[in-house]
Amino acid sequence: MGSDNTEDSPNEMFKFSLLGSAAAVLAPRLGRLAIAGRKPISTPHYVPLTSRGMVPHLAHDVMRDSTAIGSLFMEKEQSAKKSSIPIPLYAVPTKPHESALRKFTCLPDDILLILGARREPPIPCAPSNTPSSIAILTSVGFAQLSATQYAEATQKLSPDIVVGLSDLTIGQTPGIKRRAKMVDRTHAFTTHGTEALLGPDLSEHSRSNAAYFAPILPLENTEQQIYLEDLETDLRPFISGLALYEPASLSIVPEELGDLPRLLFSGPTTPHDILREVSLGADLLTLPFISLASDTGVAFKFVFPAPTNEGTQHSSEPLPLADDLWSTSYTTDTAPLDKSCSCYTCQNHHRAYIHHLLSAKEMLAWTLLQIHNHHVMDQFFAAIRESIERGTFKSDTQRFYKTYASEFPQATGEGPRLRGYKLPTSGPSQPRRYPPAYGKLELAAEKYAETTQADSSVATPDTGADGLEEHGFAEKVRISEK
Amino acid sequence: MSTSTPRKAMPSALTFDLHRKCSTTKARASTLHLPHGSVPLPIFMPVATQASLKGLTYDQLRQTGCMLCLNNTYHLGLKPGQAVLDEVGGAHKLQGWDRNILTDSGGFQMVSLLKLAKVTEEGVRFLSPHDGTPMLLTPEHSISLQNSIGSDIIMQLDDVIATTSPDHARIHEAMERSIRWLDRCIEAHENPETQNLFCIIQGGLDLDLRKKCCEEMVARDTPGIAIGGLSGGEAKEEFCKVVDTCTGLLPEYKPRYVMGVGYPEDLVVGIALGADMFDCVWPTRTARFGNAIVSSGNLNLRHASFAHDFRPVEEGCPCVTCRPKEEGGLGITRAYIHHLAAKETAGAHLLTVHNVHYTLSIMGKAREAILQGRFPAFLKDFFTKMYGEKAKIPSWIVGALRGVGVDLLEN
Repeated sequence: MGSDNTEDSPNEMFKFSLLGSAAAVLAPRLGRLAIAGRKPISTPHYVPLTSRGMVPHLAHDVMRDSTAIGSLFMEKEQSAKKSSIPIPLYAVPTKPHESALRKFTCLPDDILLILGARREPPIPCAPSNTPSSIAILTSVGFAQLSATQYAEATQKLSPDIVVGLSDLTIGQTPGIKRRAKMVDRTHAFTTHGTEALLGPDLSEHSRSNAAYFAPILPLENTEQQIYLEDLETDLRPFISGLALYEPASLSIVPEELGDLPRLLFSGPTTPHDILREVSLGADLLTLPFISLASDTGVAFKFVFPAPTNEGTQHSSEPLPLADDLWSTSYTTDTAPLDKSCSCYTCQNHHRAYIHHLLSAKEMLAWTLLQIHNHHVMDQFFAAIRESIERGTFKSDTQRFYKTYASEFPQATGEGPRLRGYKLPTSGPSQPRRYPPAYGKLELAAEKYAETTQADSSVATPDTGADGLEEHGFAEKVRISEK
Repeated sequence: MSTSTPRKAMPSALTFDLHRKCSTTKARASTLHLPHGSVPLPIFMPVATQASLKGLTYDQLRQTGCMLCLNNTYHLGLKPGQAVLDEVGGAHKLQGWDRNILTDSGGFQMVSLLKLAKVTEEGVRFLSPHDGTPMLLTPEHSISLQNSIGSDIIMQLDDVIATTSPDHARIHEAMERSIRWLDRCIEAHENPETQNLFCIIQGGLDLDLRKKCCEEMVARDTPGIAIGGLSGGEAKEEFCKVVDTCTGLLPEYKPRYVMGVGYPEDLVVGIALGADMFDCVWPTRTARFGNAIVSSGNLNLRHASFAHDFRPVEEGCPCVTCRPKEEGGLGITRAYIHHLAAKETAGAHLLTVHNVHYTLSIMGKAREAILQGRFPAFLKDFFTKMYGEKAKIPSWIVGALRGVGVDLLEN
């Protein structure tokens, strides 16, 4: 088998080549995804996730100047609106072959854009999917996105890659009847989608530029046998890649489809999960935990391969994967997040500042952490590729498992305020996620007066200057709610 | 109060080069050389309240052309606190900003907290707006904190009361107390060789009180002078009168700072009345609410009418946000800001970059005009553009500029 398997690609703009030996099943593999006009991507790699067209907290110039981000995953559901209002995203004036999605989000030409229907990870929707549509959660509530609408959106938005629609059950395990439905519907979605976008009946002009990534359902291969067979045969000419929703799916990819890039939406939660998925042959991964960590004040500090502990003490204690910058131990720590890190954050700022920004709820904290965490992840994937190339991936992985803790440290601090549509729908009388930041001042003062009566060691407003100075400029006293 | 008591000598850590004065108005173009670099005056100073300019990285802030930004003493005193500031080595080191910082004294908080604050000769006690904790701020305290912060310009603690206060006796008392507190601040100031202490002229809207205060404070010979207690909701005409009166009494060779001013029209009128420095949270705050400052006024980009507006925030604006991609900018459209506004933090960052850049560029253009001797023409052009036609220019602006020799309405 050659190293270049692109002959039967439906899209001459799109090239995915596997490097090295044949596309082995269940083994780590190196590849290169090249789309005309975009930065080529060496795989395995991750695709940063966006919200409303941007990586959370990273303004376009920060992303351009302080990160190495070359591809982005965008979802359709956040730009959906009530049907009565025309969608601005579709109204962007574009030249032929210009992507409306790129133009609307003002992104540079060389960033590879992947469009999916739902955000990653998806939030469970109250309404259920139908044979012709899936339920989505827009910023103005639940809605249905039909297969036809989605194909039209792809035509208009013209992303580089579109992830085909699939009928997934989110947050619950499907029963046997539902599983059969999932396969039938997804089969129909893929048939419809490829036909509407790339079908042989379409004129050259109306054929989409987007490369179609067909979903493989998170089910046993016996359950989706007919669908998989169709992907291998009739649908094969139209698909450029596969979208997978659990690592186990990597083992059921038919050999005929082995040379297609595999994009995973499996929601890994640690670098260990990533290594496992790469070892099974994942090419592109989506990692919701990066932004989650930045939001909660967690800074990554793992390297691959793990450092050898020569000369140091016993290896009994596993190394932490990250630091929690909310910890008061960093209050005066003027060392960077990681001394050996070359990211913008580590080159310009120290832990004490990031700790201060977090506790002062300043937005810059999240920006600086996003820069650092994405950088650490870039290094991690670059090292994975080198390790595969060297042929030491297996032993490097073993050492990583042994060296590092298996989980990220528990986040202790609060993150940014989240919008309703970014949160799972809650039942009635669910408690607030965070306590309110401000209350009525008079109320606070009253409560304060009560607490001070009980506790005479706290300064009261009537004490002298010395009394107050003893307590510092402004010692903060927590007044608990209720 | 006595002016005859021997005072500590007042060294200065700045030099002030006055380049040119407008031959018609009182506007001045100058350069202020501070410990962390030279600042072209007139200048607008964006406010990085808690040692961060609302989400911008300091590279982004540098790119707007900012040479001097504000930190708030009161907030830094709460977080991270004086002990941390001392240990880290001051605010420059804390936030990684190698240009200049100005800190206010914490006194302004009194205006908003007056209901719960008690001002005595000793200092101000008030309850923390966060949680009701009692706090005491004395002139010594404020200066000690600002010494720990290490800002290039520090402000005296003044007795601030709302200009709209009907209690004349209280205004008089506040003015006189501010002078006494200035003496205490000078006495407490430990780093006059590296940090410039500015006095703050008080006196409400009473021009006689303002005159008296100017006289007393100028005698104390601080490196710079601020006009305080304004922008508390007073009529614009009154504001102009106070600034005009004070600048008339202040020495020419010292920078003059009007506190809390940030609307473009106020800035330009302030320059014409002879002020050099301004600060306000408005340009950055309004950005977070989705408002863009443009030459024709403000655009509320959250309004549905901008959802399909694919023009840049301000046509021809050279800021990173507005500049087209082909010219190295980001080419951000109004429609995209509309899509982000109040939903994504980075949307606020993009608009903050524009608003800070835009406000700074107004000052830069005014400075150019003064240096080239065409400031009156600049004034006419600026206000006509802003209000669309001469007839719509508010009378307070017309009146204030007439007072310094420019008639906006003449042909």
